[in-house]
Amino acid sequence: MTLELRGVSYRYPGYRRRALESVDLRVGEGAIVGLTGRNEAGKSTLCLVASGLAPASIGGELAGDVLVDGESLRVLRTHELAARVGIVFVNPASQLSGITGTVFEEVALGPVNLGLAVAETVARTRAALAAVAIEDLAERAPNRLSGGQTQLVAIASMLAMRPRHLVLDEPVAELDLEGRRLVVEALRALASGGTAMLVAEHDRELLAALDARIVTIADGRIAVPA
Amino acid sequence: MGGAAAAATVIVGLIALGTFDATPEPSGIPAGANSFMLVLAVGLAVGFGAYAAVEWLQTRRLDSIARQFDTRTIVLIPIAIAINVVLGQTVASALKLPVYLDSIGTILVGVLAGPIAGAATGLLSNLAWTFLLAGSPFGSPYAWPFAIVAAEIGLLAGVFGYAGVFRSRTGTTPARLVGGVAVAVLLLGGLAWYGVVPFYRGLCADIAPRPGGTPQGLCFQLFEDGPIDPLFVTLAIGLAAVVVIALVALVLRLARDRDLGVVYVLVAGAACGVVSALIAAPIAALVFGGVTGSGTDLLVAAFQQAGSDLQTAVLQQSLISDPIDKTITYLIVFTLLGAVSRRVAARYPQGERALGTLEA
Amino acid sequence: MATLGALIAGGYGVPLVMLMGLVLPGATIAGLAWRVARVAFLLSLPISISVGLVSVFTRAGETVLFVIGPFDATREGTDFAAQVIVRLFVMAAALTLFGLTTPPRSLIADLERRGVSPRLAFVLGSVVGAIPALVERSRDVQAAQRSRGLDTEGSLGRRLGGVLPLVGPVLIGSLHEVEARTLALEARAFGRPGTRHLLWAPPDSGLERAARWLLLAGLVILAVATR
Repeated sequence: MTLELRGVSYRYPGYRRRALESVDLRVGEGAIVGLTGRNEAGKSTLCLVASGLAPASIGGELAGDVLVDGESLRVLRTHELAARVGIVFVNPASQLSGITGTVFEEVALGPVNLGLAVAETVARTRAALAAVAIEDLAERAPNRLSGGQTQLVAIASMLAMRPRHLVLDEPVAELDLEGRRLVVEALRALASGGTAMLVAEHDRELLAALDARIVTIADGRIAVPA
Repeated sequence: MGGAAAAATVIVGLIALGTFDATPEPSGIPAGANSFMLVLAVGLAVGFGAYAAVEWLQTRRLDSIARQFDTRTIVLIPIAIAINVVLGQTVASALKLPVYLDSIGTILVGVLAGPIAGAATGLLSNLAWTFLLAGSPFGSPYAWPFAIVAAEIGLLAGVFGYAGVFRSRTGTTPARLVGGVAVAVLLLGGLAWYGVVPFYRGLCADIAPRPGGTPQGLCFQLFEDGPIDPLFVTLAIGLAAVVVIALVALVLRLARDRDLGVVYVLVAGAACGVVSALIAAPIAALVFGGVTGSGTDLLVAAFQQAGSDLQTAVLQQSLISDPIDKTITYLIVFTLLGAVSRRVAARYPQGERALGTLEA
Repeated sequence: MATLGALIAGGYGVPLVMLMGLVLPGATIAGLAWRVARVAFLLSLPISISVGLVSVFTRAGETVLFVIGPFDATREGTDFAAQVIVRLFVMAAALTLFGLTTPPRSLIADLERRGVSPRLAFVLGSVVGAIPALVERSRDVQAAQRSRGLDTEGSLGRRLGGVLPLVGPVLIGSLHEVEARTLALEARAFGRPGTRHLLWAPPDSGLERAARWLLLAGLVILAVATR
């Protein structure tokens, strides 16, 4: 289970300038790569490209290739991408679907969209809620949660899809210490199961807790490869 | 290909209209309006059918339609519907002016995503308003009959968007600006003369029956001869004020931005308004006795008092308020699209085409 | 249940009073008769007043009942107005009953179960949540603008002038939210072709099914009979 970017350059639609320039990056099986860099350096863009959403959903122009287990993301449709690479975005609130009445339904949305049988969906949802210890939120309304709770729901929503590759953009920004500990544990458990993980994060402490290999990005280029 | 097909839709519609113009109207205006609506609907259906069939034959897929419903558009549509409902609800009931402003969202989707997506938004908007929101404070039991009008508005907005009407045209030279305004005035005049004025002729004759055979055509005669209703005078002053304010604002904007796009949008909005009025009026008359519970009802009352029968009065009302409403709405959407980041807009299926390519 | 409101609303005709026999018993069974009547009354009141004024006084007619100033009330106008008001009230009552007995979520789940595409189901589902969210957003913008001295209350002209500054930020904010939500949904396999296995379905009894078919048949008969 590997995630690999080969000579990737990317330009957003409506921009002349490229947001990423000749990026090479490899995340091996069960490895966690921490992506650091200043704001606007290209962290979020790299996350979008690594998940395939850029350009599949956003448009724009991609040079080079993104390979998942050796398979190019270029030829996949967005729903096929979703089954392979999970992504958690910076702002958890905008990540809610807005169509579900409870946290349980919200977390179950991904598996339901994948067309899984009801029993499988329920089992995955329960497991995902348990992984970040939010079983007690299951019947709450998703739009009435605190920032930290919303972030945990967003992470659980992604875990429930059981992607073999995971991209997280500042996953603990709104969490307290206990929340961070839970997320770190959940991610480490995933990694030990073989999931390849890319984590964009300012917080070096978190990356250290994850035993992540650190890569720094500046001006759309990898500045300090490990 | 999509362009040709979209044009075909309009042309079929226009051909149908041509035959309508030629037919005599024995019973007067209401019959004309009804058959107009029918002809327009059939024209659009035929055009759309042909469009889909041609594409199916050529590609065995309906990509140009499916493309208009990417995830981004699917996410935008409910927001657009919410904008329609919330604004429609507050403006129609709070302002008590002859405007509705309940199609901003529909027009936005039409422009950014395409005609079919726009039509779907309009249709869903009015259906959701009635059925989905029935139990909520925002529900309105009286929106659904106008779903077809809303669909037409979205469709037209999509076609105008495809044609680039909503593109910003800043930096036009003064000479071209004047020329553009002149053409626009001609177009608007033509639209008014052929699309609006004919429906008031009967009214003028009723009010000022002159044996001498004086040319009677323009309804301005209303305010000159015969027993003038004080209501009409008030209405006329109010309407004139709205029009004058709008024109002054427009000229100021033209002078400031030198953006000829405003003129394009103005003409398109007025055209959309006339078409909407012709479709909406028979529905309003048949289902609601011509009223909507908003400020437009005053106009209906005035025209009926002046001697028009219900359908005619509603039509006369619609032909005043709909063009005003749609022109204002188009201008609002144009202004908004100018303010929205091009980079955001460019991600929608028709966004880049509707707003022009980027320079920066 | 889901089609009840639509059917009655679609079946307008002059002898609509008969259908009152359908809505009111239905509401009584649901224990909502009083609420339905009250809400429907409030919903149809403003438009009914308009209908009354416009049609009673300005509709041409032979028999003049009484005259106020330039306006004469005619029998034909009154007759017409009464018909329209009855029709509007029944429409409002049927839809209110429908709205009070059918939560939007069960309507949407039911539609998807009947083969409506998940995309359409998403649109309908989002509308329900989007409206309160939009109202909340406009309140925030309104409050922010008021603190900057923009007038959103007061005279009519001022309120009209307040529309654009309000709509602008609300709409642009919404467009940016659309962007984020689009990515979030696509990351969760939204738009995958094929059926989905929903977690629950609204209950549907044989009696309800029979009632729906009966109503549909009644509507067809009515439509044919009134031709």
